[in-house]
Amino acid sequence: MMQQNLIDPALRTTLAGVPMVSPVLTASGTCGYGPEYAELLDYRRLGGFTTKSVTRHERPGNNPERIVETRAGLLNAIGLANVGVERFIAEKIPFIERMPTSVWVNVAGYDISDYTFVIERLDEHACIAGFELNVSCPNVKDGLMFGTDPRLLREVVAAARAASKRHPMIVKLSPNVTDIADLARAAIDGGADALSLINTYVGLSINAETWKPNIANVTGGLSGPAIKPLALFNVHRVYREVAQKANIPILGMGGIQTTSDAVEFLLAGATAVAVGTALFVDPTIPQKIAAELPAYLSKRGLSHVSELVGRFAFAK
Amino acid sequence: MATNISNNPSRALHDGGQPSRVVASVRVLDVRKPCREHVWVEFDARSLPASEPGQFLQVVCAPDAAIPDHAVDWTEGRLPQLSGVDWQGRTPQVRRPFSIADRWTAADGGDRAAIISRAIGPGTRWLDNLQPGAMLSITGPLGVGFAIPPIGRPLVLIGGGVGIPPFLYLARRLLELGHRDLTLIFGVQSRDLMPIEVVASPAPDGAASACLRLPSGDAPPAIVTTDDGSLGLRGRVTDALAAWLKQRGESGRAALVYACGPEPMLHAVARQTRAESLECQLCIERLMGCGLGTCLSCIVQTPCARSAAGWRWTLSCSSGPVFDRDALIEFAH
Repeated sequence: MMQQNLIDPALRTTLAGVPMVSPVLTASGTCGYGPEYAELLDYRRLGGFTTKSVTRHERPGNNPERIVETRAGLLNAIGLANVGVERFIAEKIPFIERMPTSVWVNVAGYDISDYTFVIERLDEHACIAGFELNVSCPNVKDGLMFGTDPRLLREVVAAARAASKRHPMIVKLSPNVTDIADLARAAIDGGADALSLINTYVGLSINAETWKPNIANVTGGLSGPAIKPLALFNVHRVYREVAQKANIPILGMGGIQTTSDAVEFLLAGATAVAVGTALFVDPTIPQKIAAELPAYLSKRGLSHVSELVGRFAFAK
Repeated sequence: MATNISNNPSRALHDGGQPSRVVASVRVLDVRKPCREHVWVEFDARSLPASEPGQFLQVVCAPDAAIPDHAVDWTEGRLPQLSGVDWQGRTPQVRRPFSIADRWTAADGGDRAAIISRAIGPGTRWLDNLQPGAMLSITGPLGVGFAIPPIGRPLVLIGGGVGIPPFLYLARRLLELGHRDLTLIFGVQSRDLMPIEVVASPAPDGAASACLRLPSGDAPPAIVTTDDGSLGLRGRVTDALAAWLKQRGESGRAALVYACGPEPMLHAVARQTRAESLECQLCIERLMGCGLGTCLSCIVQTPCARSAAGWRWTLSCSSGPVFDRDALIEFAH
């Protein structure tokens, strides 16, 4: 009975064929592997959970400092610190099996075989809803390559697609490109079932007293409310130029903190949204948004959240 | 309004048991300035799960919280509410960690807790101006607190400046548990920066006396050091520990030393306790984004046998903030 009350039919939707009780997910790299928020965030209300990136080998990550606050944002360079796929299977999968939501495993790598290796190792696990390909981590050497070159991107997505026999594939795109629509097209050509928009913007923070960078990696990825208008634009552009025609759903993210933020991403063309950096401050935000969305829908005379997707009135 | 949800943590994964941590909005009951730069913020802790000395809280230090607790007002035709909007973008983006400075049951039976803040930036300055009755958003209790040995062992609590607060709570707990052999060594720059009550003039030669009164009302033996000699012993906390060891003689060799304070002080105490073969626990602070083990920024090097380098990064928010001295590479050698 409790379970019934958690699910509002107006919010039920799907992402890449995966059913969701709400269109609000958590974004990779801001929610660990699951146990970290288990006591705070009600996973039953989530449309899905996206893990921290998993790579072929364990990675210690960058030296400190790894984050710095900026005006309206957070700059980070963690360096894909993660346990590696074998420890992920041994130590994290048992918890994920118990999580009452769809769990997307974010996969990162340096060459195509890194991606296919991780996906092949994980593909047999039915507790995984699918994969999110991180082709755009800006904080590791050459990490941007796949995400900025349409030909390479298509190649890595196709190889990853072929490596999974049973799971859908989301491709998370970088905004650090001239025209994100070209990359979206390449990802879809490669076989992407959905697109995550966007990863962080490359940024720099300098200490005017020491003349040194504020994070050890020098550059980092900017997230938080500072990038929300930029993220909205990218969602809008990809939806109008590519995704709508191709019937490929968009998972929108970038600075989402409130229900209003989430609605704006849906209006721009996202099918679902993910909360990222804001989880650091309040891990309960996704369930708050999921709880507030039905009231917004009924106030606007809408019966289902899908009626918001791509509906913003942008014609001049 | 969905505000209450944050006080109803997920039970989906821990089978109806009490959560060990919550995101909660708590009412501020008292705000005092115990000395020139510190502020004591006391709040109603009924929604805070059981805590241990050394654990910390993550506090939103911004007007109306860094993140609005509710959706925008959808009323058509109404201008958006702009008061409190930070046009300079100086609002802290993440919470700030504070040691639990004390937790106790008030005379009226209420569950109370406090943090002590020193105003150094926009967030802590905001805390400085809090008024009783205001609401404070906290996450906690978080982290691993101090390990407490069986009764009888001599315990030395060394706090330097902003590192003093966790020891007010620890001293209360130790006394409650029946520990009687404890000594406080509190060091500050000068007299007007001592964040607790001075009830008698501390000895200038580093002798322990009942010169400080804890918020609990207890006054265990204490040695005070100041950089300028304006209170107690002129010198460092390590000078005080040396004086204490000399005075205690052989019985001091079994002491467990707890320390919290600025990095140079922690290094000095680590060196001294290692040289004296004393066991030591350090409460450290690293730049922290979440306190929950997800932002991966508050890292420290810890020994790791299966790593080729012999160490690995460990999160101070979830494996600390209290560590055995020898579990931290930078303090162990």
